[in-house]
Amino acid sequence: MTAWLERAAFRAVGTSCAAAVTAGAHDTRRARAALAAAEAEVAACERALSRFDAASDLCRLNAAGGAWTSVDGRLIEALRLALRAREDTGGRFDPTVLPALVAAGYDRSFEQLDERPARRAVGWRAGAAVEVDESAGSARLDPGAAVDLGGIGKGYAASRALAAMRDAWPMLPGGLVDLGGDLALWGETPERGPWRIAVADPRRPGTNAGVLLLRSGGVATSGRDVRRFGPGGALHHLIDPATGEPALPGPLAVTVVASDAAEAEAHATALAISTQAAAVAYVAGRPEISALYVPPDGEPIPLGSPPLAQTRFVVRAA
Amino acid sequence: MQRIWTVVLSVWAMLAIVAVLAWAHRPVASPPPMAAAQTLVVKGANGKQQLVVVQPGAVGATHATTSTSGVVR
Repeated sequence: MTAWLERAAFRAVGTSCAAAVTAGAHDTRRARAALAAAEAEVAACERALSRFDAASDLCRLNAAGGAWTSVDGRLIEALRLALRAREDTGGRFDPTVLPALVAAGYDRSFEQLDERPARRAVGWRAGAAVEVDESAGSARLDPGAAVDLGGIGKGYAASRALAAMRDAWPMLPGGLVDLGGDLALWGETPERGPWRIAVADPRRPGTNAGVLLLRSGGVATSGRDVRRFGPGGALHHLIDPATGEPALPGPLAVTVVASDAAEAEAHATALAISTQAAAVAYVAGRPEISALYVPPDGEPIPLGSPPLAQTRFVVRAA
Repeated sequence: MQRIWTVVLSVWAMLAIVAVLAWAHRPVASPPPMAAAQTLVVKGANGKQQLVVVQPGAVGATHATTSTSGVVR
């Protein structure tokens, strides 16, 4: 029986998104239900996690001035993931960098940014307290602190959307959710082989730096090749928690493969503000992840054996 | 009356036999084609012909692309 990839493209979380499932001849209705479930779940995550929607649970929490705030379970779960990621990355990923990011000029949805010069966040420090009470469904921040879940929120939403597809179609053979390049994937492809994920080459738009072969897990890419702003596009959105300013050293882009998309995103953010030497040591100490690091000059560097398709040529005499 | 029931039962029996035969002879799912190595003939700079074998996994369409997330305007 022929199988194919049933796809749905949509816009959410400020970027282009897609979901896809492996479907057979009689699966069209189930496939479409699964894709609709994925899109609905991404929308629900955006309502909870967006920092550009004043009515979102995250905006209410950020505006609560340190008071306990009742929030959606998705925000509770995403905050727990973000706090664990802050610990796992040694503070190189910090969800509380928002005041520094706003001071740098990224204070509204990206498409509305102007060219104002960067400022430094006065009195800001990394590692602000974030408390979560799962049983009460509420959270609290240090007074003056604010949280941004932009990247890790996308990874979390991708994982949730994949789970929603599996709930909507319990016999789902395989599926993939792509939120602006953050991917969650699982199961069989129509070809019954691994999922083939192209890694965009930030040095040459329209070309790939490699192709990843994966059966399940998450993939995320972070970099300074897009989302630049400020005078002459000199600034980028990757804040170094150690300085509170856009990171100076780091790759053009870095792609991380992990067991989960949110985890991949947190590690990608941490590596995106790391020098090459620091990135090598970082991945060597974390066997559960692998990465493809594209330096500002030079060729992409695989770290920790990412599952790249090998373009191998065997030459024989004719 | 008995004749009508005989006809009805015969028709149902025949439909059941046709359904069983159709099920038994349904198209069998064929396995997907195995990824095979591709062989290319390449002429070298010295005019000598060489066979270049591209290993499986090196070619094929991708299912998605990962990149730093772009912005929808």
